[in-house]
Amino acid sequence: MLTIPFQHGLILAGILFSIGAMSLIIRRNIFFILLSIEIMLNAAGLAFVVAGAHWGQPEGQIMFIFILTMAAAEVSVGLAIVIQLYRRYKTLDVDAANEMQG
Amino acid sequence: MDLPDFLKILPLVVLAGTTVVLMLVIAFWRNYKVTFFITLIGLIVAFITLPFGVSNKSLQITSILVINGSTVFYLGLLIAGCLIAVLLSYEYIEKFEGNREEYYILLLLATLGSSILVASDHFVSFFLGLEILSVSLYGLIAYPHNLRQRIEAAIKYLILAGATSAILLFGMALIYTVLGTMEFSRIAISGAQPGNQNVMVLAGWGLLTVGIGFKLALVPFQYWTPDVYQGAPAPVTGFIASVSKGGMFALMLRYFSRVDIFANSSLLALFAAIAVASMLYGNIVALMQHNVKRILAYSSIAHLGYLLVAFLASGSLGPQAVAFYLVAYFITTLSAFGVITLISTPEHEIEELKDYESLVWRHPILATIFTISLLSLAGIPPSVGLIGKIFIAAAGVQSSLWVLLGSLIVGSVIGVFYYLRIVITMFRPPEEQVESVISLPSIYTTGGVVLSLLTFLIISLGIYPLPIMQIIARMISTLP
Amino acid sequence: MDVAFYIAAAVAIFSTIMTITRLNAVHALLYMILSLLSVALIFYTLGAPFIAALEMIIYAGAIMVLFVFVVMMLNLGPHAVEQERILLRATAWIAPAFLALILLAELVYILVQGGGGFASIGVMEPQQVSTALFGPYLIGVELASILLLAGLMGAYHIGRRY
Repeated sequence: MLTIPFQHGLILAGILFSIGAMSLIIRRNIFFILLSIEIMLNAAGLAFVVAGAHWGQPEGQIMFIFILTMAAAEVSVGLAIVIQLYRRYKTLDVDAANEMQG
Repeated sequence: MDLPDFLKILPLVVLAGTTVVLMLVIAFWRNYKVTFFITLIGLIVAFITLPFGVSNKSLQITSILVINGSTVFYLGLLIAGCLIAVLLSYEYIEKFEGNREEYYILLLLATLGSSILVASDHFVSFFLGLEILSVSLYGLIAYPHNLRQRIEAAIKYLILAGATSAILLFGMALIYTVLGTMEFSRIAISGAQPGNQNVMVLAGWGLLTVGIGFKLALVPFQYWTPDVYQGAPAPVTGFIASVSKGGMFALMLRYFSRVDIFANSSLLALFAAIAVASMLYGNIVALMQHNVKRILAYSSIAHLGYLLVAFLASGSLGPQAVAFYLVAYFITTLSAFGVITLISTPEHEIEELKDYESLVWRHPILATIFTISLLSLAGIPPSVGLIGKIFIAAAGVQSSLWVLLGSLIVGSVIGVFYYLRIVITMFRPPEEQVESVISLPSIYTTGGVVLSLLTFLIISLGIYPLPIMQIIARMISTLP
Repeated sequence: MDVAFYIAAAVAIFSTIMTITRLNAVHALLYMILSLLSVALIFYTLGAPFIAALEMIIYAGAIMVLFVFVVMMLNLGPHAVEQERILLRATAWIAPAFLALILLAELVYILVQGGGGFASIGVMEPQQVSTALFGPYLIGVELASILLLAGLMGAYHIGRRY
């Protein structure tokens, strides 16, 4: 069907992954940090589907379904913790919520 | 999947079934003691159904799990660790003013996730077990969310666990692209063919190491450890330090021994560097801390470094040394955090060193228990920690890992300083009549009985470790 | 069909960059939904229509909507946008962008070393995927439901007001 090499698909996944990693480092608002983790997970899922399509196996798609499940569970617990963070610290800035010394 | 296969994974099924039963019981009748007893019964039944899985050969269950002797051993260790954590946290959670019963559900789910990791033979079960463990831990760390430090610890753990899961997944995708399979045994076979030894597989393994190193709190992935250990409630910290690390370490043993790490010298060098860095970093930074939980956090980084020395030993003693040291580490860690649990409440964690001042004059039994577990962590006779370290050193000598053994010795010597500092603080004579902020419980509570049993095990296994060593030798072959 | 892949890839990269540079959380989430829709189109061109539908329904349709709900609920206001504007100067992006470029260059170098091969051999019918899910990966499906249970219990307890 497609005549593009599979490396292009993986390079796209790599580009999206590094954009997510870049955003994880720089942003300080907790929402954007959680969003960058979602970008990275989506990019890893894209890599799996490309690899699965290359080999003609359903495993890539199955792994993507499980990644989707994990992202949903993590986001729900993460957002509940964010709500508690806002109630206790009255801000969403992670540097302000860093009271224990590293 | 027919009946014999189902019987072999019965412990996992019992753990999941207990969770469902607990949810139903809580829905109709919310009673703390009933929840506690159902959890205990479920864990004991799971432990009893373990011998179904013992056989002479490995058995694949639907290609994503494998049950053999070492799986059964580590499953038993994890279930016993969860049982001890449940018993220790009974009084602690009873004092929490919110919903108390969901704690046991989350604890059982985390143990189930760790058990899946131990039995896994495929990237899918690796990932799912890891995520069940992580998501349950997010809930457990923030469980009594009345204190701000719990939310902060949960946020730090969440962000780092999510990011390293994504990195781990990308590494798995790279390996899958080249080799076309996700099962550990097929990865070993197709990875050995000369056409597939390319740099993409190596990059995949490197990214996989990031995910594994985060869970095990190895240098340079260890920044979350002190803050999460300090911010989480004390019984949950004991659980993270033992069950979650034990599960991941067992998986790492299986994966890297199947794909034969010893044939790849760059991976060996990477792990050796991580081991040396962990041992030295953990011990040196712990010298500067004055918070007991942070001291124990940095010491756990060092202990995982010691375990890596045994992991890198390629002879027959290597896996057995790992198993024995994990047993010793579980008993000791749960005992140390159990002492902190017993004297803390969810509103007020007793974690500063000055709160332990002259503890032996106020509560001699608890101080003695803490002293014995600290001596075992330091590796001073007659404790089981010393036997564990001797075992690791023997495995290291058998494989001639001289640099690693040197840092093991240096690290242990430095470690004695800060462990003894806690002991000396406890034994200092009281200067004036100090207002005691600690609730000093009687030894006849559930937690007290468990702690006494653990202390007895530390000393008796230190003097006579032969029964455990025989069990390990019977169950753990050189190829897990 | 090849051109569709490249156009969708360009849209995905562009909208992801817009996502991470926005100051307002809701704007960023809307760009993210656009990025997820273009990745779904890429899945379709790769021959995975079932996964394309799942990506749209679950990722863009449930997870991002949950994000939007929580952002709206916390109701931060223009004060938060001002704070973000102060934190995110243009010069702050230089070092992370440089590191990300190094990472990307290494990844591209590794990827072009691999052998040739096309991205997809044909369309993977949903029937194949579900046969595999009911066959070898049955335990995986059960574990996924346990994972969701763990997320449910955690979110239920932590979100309570005491």
